Amino acid sequence: MTVAVIPRSVAGEVTLYIGDVHAGVGPVVIKTLLGSCIAVCLWDPATTVGGMNHFMLPRGAGHAGPADSGDPGRFGIYAMDCLIGAIQKLGGERRRLVAKVFGGAHVLGIRESADGVPQKNIDFIRAFLRDEGIPVAGQDVGGYHARHVHFHTATGRAFVKRLAGEAAASRVLRREVQTARRVPACGDVTLFE
Amino acid sequence: MLTTILVVDDSRTTRALVRNALEVDHHEVVEACDGTNALSVLEDRVPDLVITDVNMPEMDGITLVRRLRTLDRCRFLPILVLTTEGGEDMKQRGREAGATGWLVKPFDPTRLRQTVSHVLRRRGQ
Repeated sequence: MTVAVIPRSVAGEVTLYIGDVHAGVGPVVIKTLLGSCIAVCLWDPATTVGGMNHFMLPRGAGHAGPADSGDPGRFGIYAMDCLIGAIQKLGGERRRLVAKVFGGAHVLGIRESADGVPQKNIDFIRAFLRDEGIPVAGQDVGGYHARHVHFHTATGRAFVKRLAGEAAASRVLRREVQTARRVPACGDVTLFE
Repeated sequence: MLTTILVVDDSRTTRALVRNALEVDHHEVVEACDGTNALSVLEDRVPDLVITDVNMPEMDGITLVRRLRTLDRCRFLPILVLTTEGGEDMKQRGREAGATGWLVKPFDPTRLRQTVSHVLRRRGQ
């Protein structure tokens, strides 16, 4: 069997896929490609600690937590917890965080409706950030195009490129559907005797 | 018997999710937003169980566990850590600090309830 190892990051750059979370301090560029998924960039201007996540659904079954996930980061509630925790570990402070939100596009065959995945994702992240008291400094959500997002942790600036054409949308949607079919699981429990 | 559980997490959303899960079994849930806040809550009242996150401002969960174990009234209080931290080294730190158990997020609400019931039963024995 041949195993190919594809480096996911080069110097100063990190590429996120569905379920990934990355936080850094200093000059790091975090990139991702979005369809109906959401990426949230959080940044602490005082320490220049920042990070991004990439999730595809608000939460797991039962609305009580992402219990049915084989890749828990793909759920927003968990992805946000992980990102905030990672930033805190690097010295960032929750009370100083500002957010930039991207994604939630109705790519290809996804119908536009209030109970569709893209709109649910958008509603979730807006409610989450409001409840947690994290201000939104910028956003580009909804619409019909896939997006390339670059986030610079040194400056907190984010750059978005909307991708026109069916090929790009189809590539993004295929990846999202494959991730959605993963086998469920949840975090383990250890009791100390 | 009505039991009181103190849930310590800096995320209001997570606290609400944990509360929703625990109230199914009619536990009374008290909330704190970090370790320092938890200690002030505990001055007034000692719960039957504490569930704490790790990464929090002011005082993290590991420090909170360590502090609680120095208090006579909390020496045998069950403390579950509920965190995104799943590494063995962190679990070991929790164990050494005196935690009763370690639950990795994302949590299954049913599993959380089962673990809470188990720990409370064990405490009652």
